[in-house]
Amino acid sequence: MTFRCLFILIASLTACDAAAKQTLTVLTAYHEEVVAQFETTFERDHPDIDVKIIWRMPHDALPYMQQRNQGGVDVYWSASLHNYLQLKQEGAWQKMKLDRDGLPEMLGVMPLIDPDGFYCATEMAGYGFVVNPGYLKNHRLPEPKTWQDLIDTRYSGHIALPVPSRFGFAPLMIDSILQQYGWERGWALLSELAGNAQLLEHNRSFITDVVGSGELGIAPSLDFFANSARANGAPLQLLYPEPVAYSPAHIAVTASTRQPQAARQFVEFILSAKGQRLLFHPDIRKLPVRPAVYADKPEGQFDPFEAAVLHSPVYDPSTALPRLAVQNALFDLFLTERHDQLKPVWQRLHELETQNGRSDEMLAEVRHLLTAAPISLDLASDISVQQNFEKRIKDADADMQAKSLENTWRSDISRNYQRAEQLLAAWGH
Amino acid sequence: MSLLICLFAQTAKSDNAWVTDDVSREAFAQIYTGVGKELSDLALQGRNIFRQSWVIPPALDIDSAGLGPLYNQLSCLGCHPKNGRGMPPETPDQMMRSMLVRLSLPGSNEHGGPRPHPVYGDQLNEQGIPDIPGEGRVRVSYQEIVRSLPDGETFHLRRPIYTFTDLQYGPLEPEILYSPRIGPPVFGLGLLEAVSDSAILQLAERGRQQGVNGRPNWVWDGEKQHKTIGRFGLKANVATLKQQIAGAFIGDMSITSSLHPTENCGLFQTVCQQAPSARQPELDDRQLKAILTYLRLLQVPAKRAADDSKVQRGERLFVSTGCAVCHTPSLQTGEFPELPALSQQTLHPYTDLLLHDMGGELADGRPDFDASASDWRTPPLWGIGLVKRINGHSTFLHDGRARNLMEAILWHGGEAQLARKVFERLTSADRQNIIHFLGSL
Repeated sequence: MTFRCLFILIASLTACDAAAKQTLTVLTAYHEEVVAQFETTFERDHPDIDVKIIWRMPHDALPYMQQRNQGGVDVYWSASLHNYLQLKQEGAWQKMKLDRDGLPEMLGVMPLIDPDGFYCATEMAGYGFVVNPGYLKNHRLPEPKTWQDLIDTRYSGHIALPVPSRFGFAPLMIDSILQQYGWERGWALLSELAGNAQLLEHNRSFITDVVGSGELGIAPSLDFFANSARANGAPLQLLYPEPVAYSPAHIAVTASTRQPQAARQFVEFILSAKGQRLLFHPDIRKLPVRPAVYADKPEGQFDPFEAAVLHSPVYDPSTALPRLAVQNALFDLFLTERHDQLKPVWQRLHELETQNGRSDEMLAEVRHLLTAAPISLDLASDISVQQNFEKRIKDADADMQAKSLENTWRSDISRNYQRAEQLLAAWGH
Repeated sequence: MSLLICLFAQTAKSDNAWVTDDVSREAFAQIYTGVGKELSDLALQGRNIFRQSWVIPPALDIDSAGLGPLYNQLSCLGCHPKNGRGMPPETPDQMMRSMLVRLSLPGSNEHGGPRPHPVYGDQLNEQGIPDIPGEGRVRVSYQEIVRSLPDGETFHLRRPIYTFTDLQYGPLEPEILYSPRIGPPVFGLGLLEAVSDSAILQLAERGRQQGVNGRPNWVWDGEKQHKTIGRFGLKANVATLKQQIAGAFIGDMSITSSLHPTENCGLFQTVCQQAPSARQPELDDRQLKAILTYLRLLQVPAKRAADDSKVQRGERLFVSTGCAVCHTPSLQTGEFPELPALSQQTLHPYTDLLLHDMGGELADGRPDFDASASDWRTPPLWGIGLVKRINGHSTFLHDGRARNLMEAILWHGGEAQLARKVFERLTSADRQNIIHFLGSL
């Protein structure tokens, strides 16, 4: 064999001095397939900057950023509004001096930039209904247009509903229903929806697998799960309700960064037309916050700014954040724990309600017993209650308080469901 | 691109359960489900582990903690995007994202394998956790060369030149041996594992009768503590898929397992040695089994466009030029008690799983057990026609130097030189027919 090539390789071994490169450390929870697109494109445009990615889920990112020197992080880029708010209170961010020409401040009631300029939205994910068109056709099911549509009995047994305490994206989605319909009507809708649905309690399967495989036909979810799977060939479609609620992701530069210039360049790149267009990539499929780039959107891509003209978003995630822990616990007590009991009761009630369109006081009472919100909005908004549920993992006292409240709610719910069953039994069903 | 559209349009349904007719961008990620719920669920867990990004310890998410202190990538997917092929950097300034460089010193270790560098180990880890710099950088540039064929057609090839920079633990010795490696596709590995040793030996014997000196790589099996036939890795230097997975976890991400219980820190890398670890092992046996099951159950893409006349002619030429001697079209799995569904299956991998001398131009200069400096294991060709669609590039060979399939063929030397010469003497149209055929795999 010839060793000419080998000689060239060995001759090049002497370490040579390359131009000094800066390393920009970015903390994110974006999936590898998302990060890789931005990392490669940014480094191609900025050969003097290496991007080092540190990956953490939001709950794990917060303590990491609270370390000395903020763990060496220069830029935080993630879908976790809670962390941005919390870290803002702790003085963790630098003010961003950006040219925001072409970047709106709001979408409906949802802000796209921190009013004090410490962080801003880089993309949005819309909550919608992942559907399998073939499944809908085979079962002769119409496309749902609103959350209200999903409680139609025709959808019974065809819906997969993610349990918010098990799926990271689901708590804000559930809260968007409560904001859109109001606390009382929202919980009533959720109960009836759960009666139509199979609850997904574990995270091993992707929602898109359940619907894509044809196991079930509809699953409320984030749009990019479905759009990305669809762009990669899965038989799925995402239907956006009217109006749409969005989960924004944000970006911020740390107060302790030693690379302010590189950090600013990275943020500018993410918000630039080039960076925003990357969100259309088949492996990403998220919604840009720069309206002009939708002129280049792939076929079938949703435009939230266009949709907002007809149905302005009524959901602000910052309103939801303080009550999410209470809400997750409520959902589990009200719907998850007793789903086996709840589902047949709803089915029986629906049967009776549809018999010759009858309306009856007893049926109204059963409906009330199944849909009554476990607690009032006032109690769910009580700061001490919220903190007990938020801190319960680390604080035994808080956990005890939370459990005490849960026991009361559990008893009330149990009593209501039993009474509903008794009333239906008395009717002869 | 028009070729691919044509091929997809003519896709025929496969009747082999281990073959998927999926031609979407998820075609390399289809799981065989005929193994019952328990194994299917385990494979789904494995899929999540394969896709997850690992985090620096200490961390609240203990199941995914353990990255570093020194590493190349955060996730398996980083080097095997969409379960497919990685690619080299496009410019010397770019980091290696789905590629790495193996290192060793001349000589061999106590089991006959490469002798790792005492400080840098057997692989340059370009990245480090905060406060621990990566070991160094490898910059890739290319020298353009021209190859003229007998009919006058010329092709430009690019020869890679590697430069080590920013070495944090001192210069590398002049005699250092190194080997750049692109992350290869990971589907179909269960089927390759289920091919029996005797079948591989028979292929070697058959090759000898046809004048080709393919041979197995006899490597050290650390679990069984004896030498056995290697079949994984670009030089067939790893005996089992489990060992391949555990080796990638420790080598690429510094994640310990029961097979590699100590962190990937070399002598004198004291800061690395003192960095916090996650639980030990960081990849527990349950997770290792899940990812092993996932990779074993990944299906392979079906051959497409069987009715296309160009593909049919290309296939005949592929055989007549001698390419099919090493790129063996069909193999049969043996008994595979660890996952019986893999037993007695007919597969079409276009590999003989043997080492072949590929000549000086492709040599990496780094022996690995019985593999010489210029030996490489015949890579499977299944799915090769979908790489561009799924991975967004068409770079091939162990270091990604070939920018398309034509260049990949023209780099073949050593035992493959004769077949390459025959290929070069074909008409331009027939050379394209072979490319059409490869595109249908």
